[in-house]
Amino acid sequence: MMVIYMDPLAASMLVIAGGVLVGICVHFIPTSAVGAMSASTGIATGPSMLSFGAGLTGILSASYAVDEGLSLVMASGAVGSALMVTLTILGSNIVNIFGIGVPPASGQTARGQSVLARGTKDIITGWEQKGFVTPGTDGHGMPVQTHLSGIAGGVMGGAGGGMVFYGIYTLIHPTMIDAISAAGLLAAGVFLINCVLPAYTLVGKTEGLFDQKIRRIHKTFFSCLVVSTFFALVLYTVVVLF
Amino acid sequence: MVETLLAGAAFGGALAFLAGVFENEESDAGSASNPNSQVQLAPQIGHIHRYYNKAISGEPPQNALWATVAATTALLLLDFFDATGSGSIVIASAAGAVVAMLLQCAYGSFAHISRTASMKNFKQPLYWDALLVPLPLSMAYLFLSAFTMTLLSFVIHHLMGNPFPVPLIAMFIGFTLGAIGSSTGDVFYGAERLYQQYIFGSGIAISKQGDIDIRGEYGHRNSVDTPYFTLRFGGPITGLTFGMLIFLDALSRTLHFAGSWTFVLIATMMICLLFGITTYIEWYARKRYGPYG
Repeated sequence: MMVIYMDPLAASMLVIAGGVLVGICVHFIPTSAVGAMSASTGIATGPSMLSFGAGLTGILSASYAVDEGLSLVMASGAVGSALMVTLTILGSNIVNIFGIGVPPASGQTARGQSVLARGTKDIITGWEQKGFVTPGTDGHGMPVQTHLSGIAGGVMGGAGGGMVFYGIYTLIHPTMIDAISAAGLLAAGVFLINCVLPAYTLVGKTEGLFDQKIRRIHKTFFSCLVVSTFFALVLYTVVVLF
Repeated sequence: MVETLLAGAAFGGALAFLAGVFENEESDAGSASNPNSQVQLAPQIGHIHRYYNKAISGEPPQNALWATVAATTALLLLDFFDATGSGSIVIASAAGAVVAMLLQCAYGSFAHISRTASMKNFKQPLYWDALLVPLPLSMAYLFLSAFTMTLLSFVIHHLMGNPFPVPLIAMFIGFTLGAIGSSTGDVFYGAERLYQQYIFGSGIAISKQGDIDIRGEYGHRNSVDTPYFTLRFGGPITGLTFGMLIFLDALSRTLHFAGSWTFVLIATMMICLLFGITTYIEWYARKRYGPYG
């Protein structure tokens, strides 16, 4: 294996930046717990769980490129996560359309509350959302604008996961024989912590970039910054001092 | 090298498809994941039901646990029998899946009993047939799911050349599959099977939630009927989604026209293609169904 040299402080900074990026990505991936009853727009699971699943796919993809440098690790992680999110949205939309018989529609946009769009139309396609939402629900499936937001979230999460994984790997590589396994496990742990923190601001549902909850992103940013800094500090201390 | 990667893509894709189908059915047979909230709500609005109601945890961590337990056991057995030269990955994976299955039996039974006990105030009795009839079916699906996930982890490690150890890969793919199963196949259970008395073609309004269908084709509906229904659509779509993820990921690693960046380029093209397909399906649905009157 190629030996990677990186200043421990720079590697710690990489872990912190990656951790923050992971937290922010959760705001972009459209998810909703009641989506399982086609009662709300978004992928039908918890925001944290789906982002973590996508992130782990990203770390698994990034692990193939660990000896090729940071840029390839980040890119591999980003496309791995984005591929998982895209496929999940495709599968979920197929079930909604052909299994439940509902067209994808954004609840917030139909109410005219989308952050970026004016009116009740999809910002990318210009398709009307208002009449396509089942009465009594908050939308269903993932229309194009939320799909694009999900891909952006997947790219951010995968790149962030790759940064955390690469940062930890370069930190512990000189001190451990099987550093790659430990780095994968620790990166998954950092990913999980940073994915769970936004759950307190999202409260089980988000439509991604177009949701009003995107305005609370600064809370996620600071909480993930604090947690990732603490983790990086502990890791740095253990590696450098011992 | 390319032949090995192609074999990995083919084996991995097929195993991932099967793992997806079995995982979704295991989840539906036990009312796990988000539709569980509807089964929990039913007694509160007067619907006494006979659904098997196990939700040990969220579907992704639960599935990651089964996969990791099975893969770790398989690896330990292989390590033990390799000394005698009689190690077989298939037999070790089956033995690992049996351990995961027994664990799920214990967790699932206690989860159902304690959840039903918490519904005492709403007069929900603990029907033994509601637990003992679907339990073996749920365990059988878990065995198949854990077995295929363990084999898939070995394929990813040995044929695709992933540097992570097998149990860690099992944890990663278990979590990913749980997230996919929860997002795709469970919608068919939560929005269609549980609410079959409502007309096809609408989401479930918040005011209707908990009003689940408790009557079967013959007598009371139970959780053995559920996979019989969801296996026709929800399961295959979950399998297709996870199978395509593993297959496309592996397939894009077989070419090397742009050096190390080939995977990134091919995967980006695939994402664009899938985005196009999803947009077309949405356009088709809007044209076919039209707005609500």
